[in-house]
Amino acid sequence: MLFYVVRRLLLAVPTVFGVALLTFLLFNEFGPDPVRTALGQHASPAAIANLRHQWGLDESLLEQFGGFLRQITSFDYGRSFVTGEDLGTQLRSGALVSLSVTAPPFIVGTALNIAIALFITRHRDGVVDRAARVLFVAGMSVSALVYVLILQYGLAYKLGWFPISGYASGLSALPYLGLPWLLLVLIAMGPDIRLYRTIFLDEAQADYVRTARSKGATESAVWGRHVLANAWMPIITNTVTNIPFLILGSFLMERFFSIPGIGSLTIDALGRGDLPVLKAVTILGALALVLFNLLSDLLYASVDPRVQLR
Amino acid sequence: MSKTSITRLITAVLVAVMAAQVHSTAAAEPKVLSVARAAPFTSLDPAAGFEQTASDITGLVYGNLLSYSYLDRPYKLVPELLATMPELSADKVVYTMTLRKGVFFHDNKCFEGGKGRELTADDVLYSFKRYADANINHKSWFVMEGAVVGLDAFRADTQKSGKSPDHARVEVAGLQKIDRYRFTIRLTHENPLFLYALAISSTAIVPMEAVRTYGDRFDVNPVGTGPFSLPGPAERKGVLRFVKNAKFYGVYPSGGAPGDRENGLLKAAGQKLPLVDVVEMPLIEEQQPEALRFFNGELDWRALDRANFTRMVVRSGDGTVRLGDEFAAKFNLYSTPGIDLYYFAFNMKDPLLGQNKTLRQALGRLIDTQGYIDVLLNGRGKKLRSLVPLELRGNELETGATYFGYDLAAAKRLLAEAGYPEGKGLPAISMRFPGTSADARDQADFMKAKFAAAGVQLKPDLTDGPTFVKNVEGSNFQMASYSWLADYPDAEDFYQLLYSKNAAPGPGLSSFSNAAYDRAYEASRFMADGVERLRHFKVMNEIVKEEVPLVISRNSVRFGLTQKWLGNFKRNLLTSEVPYLDIDMTRKKKGF
Repeated sequence: MLFYVVRRLLLAVPTVFGVALLTFLLFNEFGPDPVRTALGQHASPAAIANLRHQWGLDESLLEQFGGFLRQITSFDYGRSFVTGEDLGTQLRSGALVSLSVTAPPFIVGTALNIAIALFITRHRDGVVDRAARVLFVAGMSVSALVYVLILQYGLAYKLGWFPISGYASGLSALPYLGLPWLLLVLIAMGPDIRLYRTIFLDEAQADYVRTARSKGATESAVWGRHVLANAWMPIITNTVTNIPFLILGSFLMERFFSIPGIGSLTIDALGRGDLPVLKAVTILGALALVLFNLLSDLLYASVDPRVQLR
Repeated sequence: MSKTSITRLITAVLVAVMAAQVHSTAAAEPKVLSVARAAPFTSLDPAAGFEQTASDITGLVYGNLLSYSYLDRPYKLVPELLATMPELSADKVVYTMTLRKGVFFHDNKCFEGGKGRELTADDVLYSFKRYADANINHKSWFVMEGAVVGLDAFRADTQKSGKSPDHARVEVAGLQKIDRYRFTIRLTHENPLFLYALAISSTAIVPMEAVRTYGDRFDVNPVGTGPFSLPGPAERKGVLRFVKNAKFYGVYPSGGAPGDRENGLLKAAGQKLPLVDVVEMPLIEEQQPEALRFFNGELDWRALDRANFTRMVVRSGDGTVRLGDEFAAKFNLYSTPGIDLYYFAFNMKDPLLGQNKTLRQALGRLIDTQGYIDVLLNGRGKKLRSLVPLELRGNELETGATYFGYDLAAAKRLLAEAGYPEGKGLPAISMRFPGTSADARDQADFMKAKFAAAGVQLKPDLTDGPTFVKNVEGSNFQMASYSWLADYPDAEDFYQLLYSKNAAPGPGLSSFSNAAYDRAYEASRFMADGVERLRHFKVMNEIVKEEVPLVISRNSVRFGLTQKWLGNFKRNLLTSEVPYLDIDMTRKKKGF
């Protein structure tokens, strides 16, 4: 297993290098000029040259890319161009805030969606299954933004069940997180339940299920011990590969509810052409994706004895 | 004493005691003003930050030598940290300035014993040298560039060395201390515009102790002489909570513009500022939550967005606007003309448009500003006939400027003269728009339809802000929708947009070069307002109309809402209204 992990990590190096190169070229060569964006409408050539020098943008592309690679390997992403703040501190505090927004609804939502999917699959083609399918397809065709706008207006403003927006540190954040959590659970329901239903349906039609039934297994045992147990692999894939996005935050929730996570940090950086922030978030996202993909493969082996890691 | 009398006496005493308690509770309750900020600030170091989001905050904490009168219109400079307006020497190049006595910095740990000390002339000279430091100020140097003897050389030195000197020790010839409260500033030439530089947020006065104590965290630890202080470091996100500076020197003005007295704006005349105890500024970047929090009574004032304007405002036949009855009972509506210019730039470096004046004249007549204002802005704008916004001296009313409007027939005729009858043979014209919002898309569609009516194909290109800036400042465009917000309230700030030395990547995006225009601009630039200056403005107006390097569009009209419990509100685009505002807490607690 150790050999497998080392091999996968080594294989990840060219992937991360490729992402780093693309990210660098996209932002440094083809993206908006951060100096012009920062200086605004009064940018004089001297001011442009001065700031370009201060930010190291007058170095050759190769030197700049070398610096970016050093940042990636040392995990020191320097400082924001716009605010001058240390990015390590910003990203750490932002990631915690983002996780406080995304993780609880992800955990609760995943459990809930698996349970609902299992229930409706067990009653497939019945009234509940048909109604749920219509409901979730309709729900999926509505933009997430619409849910945010309507629930913020209805539940927070009209009914006063939640604060309209805001954030506080520690436990005081709870009242502010209620509505974003509810929204994230609702938004994920349609796609997740449909996916899990398809997975369960595939398993429910497999030969071993028929065999189990013919051997006299109860329906609960069939669904609990056989279908669910064999459906874990695709569920793990879907769940674990979503974890990096939890850390990166929810752009929509953070923006509409004034929550200072990585999502809102990234949107601000996009508007201001803050290259160090954008590059750090992109590369950290890629690294997290690589690591969690590896984790999901490792988990396969733990839930399915047929899988061997070589 | 009868039993009834004793009962009455006891009752009276109880009522008096309760009333006193109620009164003391009311007196102890702080007046809290809440107003949202729409974006996180970059830096609260006045010399480093220049954007509106930072100025809105530093304007509360710091003081400038001069500021703009809260109530007077047109906008008028008045002394703030100075005791009187600067005295100009006979040769008109030396300003002698005297500080108010008894102005103190906020109490802060950076000072000895944590007590703010008195402001002196040394602080002013120190702050000006920080402002000129190329390693600190990247954004607002243009306001003082070339104005003060020795300051440009000092800036060049800081740029060359790449590090900041000790600003308290270094000497600049044009900045001289006379005594504890007096100093002189020697200009390189006569320059009436210089006084505006003393009122911009970047030249606010900072104490050297705070800069030294906080180092690179000074940008989030503002310490000034302003009406409010900020306890603890400022958070870029979240809520900023300012507290009243009890030692603030300001008083509410006793005079203003016509109508101010009738509107109750002089009731607080002579009162010590600020009038509220606490100011809260939550960061709310989206319009919906901001609007909902205002409607919920959590915010005291907000600008009115297009959707809510359409829903809430009623327009009468004579063009006046008011809030619909259901909203008028809850809120007050305000409007004020912006000090801005919206225009459509032609890129004079473009081989097609730059060389064909008649074509520019034709396309200019396809821009239907009035239609756009009526249809898409619900009347929230004023069509302009010159580059100068209506609130400024030298505007079209003073110069008598004339300008063309939307004229399809004339556009078709000019198109034919330009060699493209009915638009035949004319390649699609690309126009860049800033932003990708619904408003930007609506504007692009509106323009496209107008151009199509003359047989001209318009290719709108909507991009995010930074990409738009990169393209237009790099002259990578044919036409671009753009706007200019006054840096200071003078017509020169708008006429400079077509001065050849300001060509892109400078503020003159059109890259227009016209010797007669340049001569008139240079002659009027540092001239005091008067008939002679207006004459030069008229020359430039005629050239702009004839050559069409850009199409003048409109001046914004800004609308907003205030809560009924907010007093003394008059929108001021150049100085913070917050110190002058008052809250009727009884009414606020009662709600709607």
